Amino acid sequence: MDVSFRKIDIDQYEEDVLLDNELYEADPRDPTQVLNDTKQKGAAVHSSLSKGDIQGALELVLSDAPYGPNVEEAKNLNLQTLVTILNSTKATEIPGVVKSLSQDSQDTLMKYLYKGMGLPGWGDVSGSVLLGWHEKLTEVAGTGCIVRAMTDRRVV
Amino acid sequence: MSAPEVFNLGQTPITSHAFNADRSRVAVSLNSNDVTIFDRQRNDWTPTETLSEHDKLITSIDWAPNSNRIVTSAQDRNAYVWQQTPDPQTGHMIWKPTLVLLRINRAATFVKWSPNEDKFAVASGARAIAICSFDPEGDWWVSRLLKKPIRSTILSVDWHPNNVLLAAGGADMKARVFSAYIKDVDKRPVPTVWGEKLPFNTLCGDYTSPSGGWVHSVGFSPSGDVLAFAAHDSSITVVYPGSQAIYHIRMTTLPLVTLTWTSEEAIVAAGHDCQPFVFSGNEGGWQLIGTLDDANANKASGRSGFGGPASPVGRLQSSAFNTFRNADSRGSSNSNATESELFTVHQNTITNIRPYDGVPGAVSRISSSGVDGKLVVWDVSAVSPISVGGLAGKVGGMSLR
Repeated sequence: MDVSFRKIDIDQYEEDVLLDNELYEADPRDPTQVLNDTKQKGAAVHSSLSKGDIQGALELVLSDAPYGPNVEEAKNLNLQTLVTILNSTKATEIPGVVKSLSQDSQDTLMKYLYKGMGLPGWGDVSGSVLLGWHEKLTEVAGTGCIVRAMTDRRVV
Repeated sequence: MSAPEVFNLGQTPITSHAFNADRSRVAVSLNSNDVTIFDRQRNDWTPTETLSEHDKLITSIDWAPNSNRIVTSAQDRNAYVWQQTPDPQTGHMIWKPTLVLLRINRAATFVKWSPNEDKFAVASGARAIAICSFDPEGDWWVSRLLKKPIRSTILSVDWHPNNVLLAAGGADMKARVFSAYIKDVDKRPVPTVWGEKLPFNTLCGDYTSPSGGWVHSVGFSPSGDVLAFAAHDSSITVVYPGSQAIYHIRMTTLPLVTLTWTSEEAIVAAGHDCQPFVFSGNEGGWQLIGTLDDANANKASGRSGFGGPASPVGRLQSSAFNTFRNADSRGSSNSNATESELFTVHQNTITNIRPYDGVPGAVSRISSSGVDGKLVVWDVSAVSPISVGGLAGKVGGMSLR
């Protein structure tokens, strides 16, 4: 079946187009500040990790996660920081860590897991790590968490 | 505590259902351009009348209890008000449609009579809500459009008990409260927590859910002082405009698409998880307290299958999943085993919940209908608690038969 019609921009003749940015509240910080914040968080996460505080590191990286347009660099940086945590967590520790996260953090973590799986070649994350976290997170936060990751327009 | 009454009205989805005042008749649309009226005969419903006038799918039906009028909306951008009148030739009572001048250029998506039954609101995909009132001179229903600041399709509306305020939720991820004051119909409303001066199209409130998502259903509490809405991020939000307290309850299950208040401190909501959930709370906080669909009772009533340990993976453990797993691990591809049954009473998404028995503020029973063609009447006091981890498990525990 020819599906190219789906790519037609049907809004081009519409005077009153509903834009993406009307559907969520923009990050009040400006892009350079977001990048700086993310860099600082990265450093804090590394110090938490060296102390073995995985939950603290996760809460940190998942709070104020960069979203929206013009912050691609910060988004990638935050993903890298998160991936470091995911990779350095033992499989047996995952359920406990996931359970102790706040609901906001659980939802954000799910967004990152899907972002990771969406990268070409899955970036430098191994599939089994992402799927392992996904399984444990779904057991705790349910399908509702997945729905929220898909629904939220504040794409990380 | 009594078991839910279950009626199979058809094999097709029930788009919408609405009972008459004494619950002896129900108007439904079985995913078609027609409304079918079923009459109750003991424990069964038999189709007696068909209302045909729409030429696209009907989206919503509402039956005014006191004036006994039915209003329908459809994708053909029209709404009709149906009234029983004697046929001039035979003398039989027939349902006569009156066209409503909606002036919208997209589908009508939802319709609801106001509490006084002198107005109704039609939601639409034209980024507008038509507030319709009767014009005796022209002998037709005329409308005024609520437009600003709506940015997308409106999916549901609900009237405040004062007959003036209207809540609306839509695909622009917002739940809003508007004034739908019509000068010729309404008396000046007394001030409420939503505002004092209320000319037409006043925006009295504007709310979003924690992760955004289409607002599927909105509802005023019986007093009208509290607003609840369910959104596609699997959440339900309760708003107290007086104290500005807002409570979000994030579900671990699939999104809820319909809700109704059963008292000032209780809400029943249902959706893609196929069971009605009960929420309870007050200005101090809200929580999920249970479900009306008791899994154990269902099994006792002779349902097939086995409970098994609750799997919290929810619907991931669906029939398709089981089929693939069986094919993978056991090499079985038994095509007879693909027919599956959920452990819930409804076998598919519940799209409509309405009060069935009781008065606003003290509803004792509710009715639900959904994509599985079932109409179910539930006792709202029969709440079974949800065990930790078992919430998604009940739906997750599907069986093969």
